[in-house]
Amino acid sequence: MGDLTLREQLRDNEEKFAKTGSLFGLEQLHRKESDPGTYEALWHILSNLCNLAWEVGCRVSSSPIAVEGGDALWALNLPTGEAVCVSRGITAHPGLLADMIRNFIDLDYEELVGFKQGDIFENNDPHYGGIHGPDFDMAMPIYYGDELVAWVSCVTHVSDCGSVTPGSVGFLNPDCYSDGLCISMEKVGENDQFYPWYEKRIRSRTRTPDFVLGDARGRLAGCVSLRDRLMDVIDKYGLDFFRDAIKEYVEDSRRYAVARVRTQTVPGRIRKSQFKDLAMKGKNHILGKQDVDCMFNLPMEVEIDVDANVKFSLRGASGTVPFGENISPTALKSGLLNGYSHIIGFDMFNSGPTAAWEVEMPPAGSWANPFEVDWSASSGVAWAPAVMWMSNLYEVFGRLFQMRGFIEEMAAGAATTMTAEFAGITQLGYYLAGLTLEQASNGSPARGFADGENSAWCIYTPNADFGNAEVTELYYPILYLGRNIEPDSGGYGKYRGGLGHTAVWMVYGTPGLEYQCGCAGMRAKIVANHGMYGAYPTWPDAPSYAHKTNVKELIEEKKPLVHERGPAERPTLETAIEARDLQTHPIAPFVTPDELQNYDLIVHPISGAQAMGDPIERDPAAVEEDLNKGWTSERVAGDVNGVVFSENGQYSVDTTATERRRAEIREDRKRKAIPFKDWWTDERRRVLEKENMDPAVLTMWRTSMTLSPDYGDELRKFWDLPADFEF
Amino acid sequence: MATFDKADVEKLVDGVLPWTAVQEMMKSPKDLDRFDQYVEILQGRVDWDERILLPLTPALFIVAKNGSRVVKCRCGHEFGDYRVNWKLSALINVRDDEASLAEVYKGRELPDPSWVQVREYICPGCGSMLEVEAVPRGCPPDFDFLPDLDTFYDEWLGRPLPDKCEYRDLTPDLILEWSG
Repeated sequence: MGDLTLREQLRDNEEKFAKTGSLFGLEQLHRKESDPGTYEALWHILSNLCNLAWEVGCRVSSSPIAVEGGDALWALNLPTGEAVCVSRGITAHPGLLADMIRNFIDLDYEELVGFKQGDIFENNDPHYGGIHGPDFDMAMPIYYGDELVAWVSCVTHVSDCGSVTPGSVGFLNPDCYSDGLCISMEKVGENDQFYPWYEKRIRSRTRTPDFVLGDARGRLAGCVSLRDRLMDVIDKYGLDFFRDAIKEYVEDSRRYAVARVRTQTVPGRIRKSQFKDLAMKGKNHILGKQDVDCMFNLPMEVEIDVDANVKFSLRGASGTVPFGENISPTALKSGLLNGYSHIIGFDMFNSGPTAAWEVEMPPAGSWANPFEVDWSASSGVAWAPAVMWMSNLYEVFGRLFQMRGFIEEMAAGAATTMTAEFAGITQLGYYLAGLTLEQASNGSPARGFADGENSAWCIYTPNADFGNAEVTELYYPILYLGRNIEPDSGGYGKYRGGLGHTAVWMVYGTPGLEYQCGCAGMRAKIVANHGMYGAYPTWPDAPSYAHKTNVKELIEEKKPLVHERGPAERPTLETAIEARDLQTHPIAPFVTPDELQNYDLIVHPISGAQAMGDPIERDPAAVEEDLNKGWTSERVAGDVNGVVFSENGQYSVDTTATERRRAEIREDRKRKAIPFKDWWTDERRRVLEKENMDPAVLTMWRTSMTLSPDYGDELRKFWDLPADFEF
Repeated sequence: MATFDKADVEKLVDGVLPWTAVQEMMKSPKDLDRFDQYVEILQGRVDWDERILLPLTPALFIVAKNGSRVVKCRCGHEFGDYRVNWKLSALINVRDDEASLAEVYKGRELPDPSWVQVREYICPGCGSMLEVEAVPRGCPPDFDFLPDLDTFYDEWLGRPLPDKCEYRDLTPDLILEWSG
């Protein structure tokens, strides 16, 4: 770019895009067209370099989150920040890393601080583009000779960032001042070494400094590995080819996403309401204002125009919450790129597709744009509402793909993310706070042609790896008593979602352990609005635990223990053991009021994904198979799927009787249901009287309608409510 | 560009195409004639003659009928102009108390009816459960999709429909009628 500064290059890129509609003004992809083989080869080499950085970085890291779960990511970026290609790992981050580099440029760090080989920059501050404190975003400039030719960037999710409660899922944080250690757009090292103050700050301000510093070294090792090998690659392919090709990859990806929307969807407007609860009233909390239940409104409206541009709106998003579940628009958009890469722009995963969409600025003062109104809002686990909003994306595009006949691309809604964190003295005698990766292995969404897959998918990482039980036992003072497929956990539909699993842990080898059943995107009071094509959404997340148990005696007497969750109305925890504090249905999320003791039990279910289609259209043979595998219950098979069966050691479905039964169900439905207008008339009265509406729901509607007045007007008009009506 | 046999697409629709063949479809560049193949398959499966313009869901279609475009169930039941949310012309069964929710969700699975209601939209013709919504009281039903049909046919498929229709949500007009 000749003598242009990076800031000038950014402006130049913007002007060229506005003028040509192509990123960097690339109306033609010359390198791709003139030498497609090398173009493709270099892409794979760069992609492999990112994966190599991930392998090296995770192995050098210390915390089980990175080492065992791979909860990290490395990327190669253009000099102006755009992601060119990324590794496997937490794919919610390429957008954040790109924006962080852009912010350094926009703030004129090139002039004020200066860039040189070996410099290390970091940010984890949500006010300046971070998602939440434990995700440390890092970037290093890469020079070839005297020219800044790229950046390498990365993120690792550390086990503790010193927030008000131990661990890394800070849902209880009341404000940003409790979010823990802050690195706010800082240069934290040079010559491939961290500054001494960086280590000292981590030592004084996090609970697990050895793990946090180990992960920092992992980030650095991955970045240096990528950078060093990139020198060889540029030597081989030439700087000119490299410089051109990395821009073309980004524009290529934009074109791919646009073409995919145009050839596989339909222009128009899609609306998808979604909600999430955070029931905290009466539980342990930090500040008085947190003794409250919250409900989030997470609406998604998508408009696809004639040019296949996709516009997202969160009109109607509800207000901020006094917990760590608020997210900046920057982080939200990065999360959206994660989902978009799964279903639209996955050919070359980079920043390209973001140029083909527009995200309307969410209402100021909402959970999705907190800081304009509430500067002190916490983002302790900002991902939580964002990921549940993003779950809409799968269903929205699944519907569009169906309309064009691309059944093989369809998906229903996503599973949820209920985390398990432990804090306390381990069996080895040191203090540890950290996350198991149990939740990184949900069921996958139902597809247009088949059920989802069990324990095989995770919305925020393609790894979908919950780690080895035996390794997790080495880190934490817990022993696995069970890790089982959870029957009926994938919703009820023609095709069910992939099933989740349940972990059963026994606390062992500790003087006391805190169990934090955390919310990184879960529901306890409601089910998701994912009844796609007539399916029933999967149930709310419901953990359980037992404190001060008789398990030690049961083991000594060689009696049966708890290995699974058991029936919904008669949990195994209730029937198999005795405990002084038996919590068979505590409302998640929560932190145990007392430290758990040896031989206490935890039953932690990981959700399945959502179903699609009318449950009485499910193939009776599939129901029979599920019955015989123990993946569905007799109740669901009979009452919900309308299947008639007998059991004689093996289940056997009676097809003729099933057809009869299903015809009866259809007639029953018609008799029981009423015309919509009749219901609307009656329901209007209930809405006016706010009948049986929890205060959390009323607060949600009130803030949604205030922050988005046109959304409020539309809601009032639908129910024919007075113009001054408020919830 | 890949092309696939209509018979294979039909198997895909029915969920009986072998997984390896489905994977090939996923990996191949998409076939440009898929929409036409799909509509042809669906058209061949219904007992009525109106032309399918867009498969809205596996059970509902926007069809051309006497110069207008209406939503029609595979069973033949019609829901009216596609620009009005068809749910307003459906039968509805709402689970908004513990007893009705417990017919689906048991014990620890039970959602709280003061936080959420489960709405089932039923076809008055065949009794199919067409959509389910799980939303708090006060939430208008989602108008899942309002297609810009003329842009789709004119600009994307390059074969305009014989008539034009304004791209506009007419649901508020119906509510106005109901409000008197």
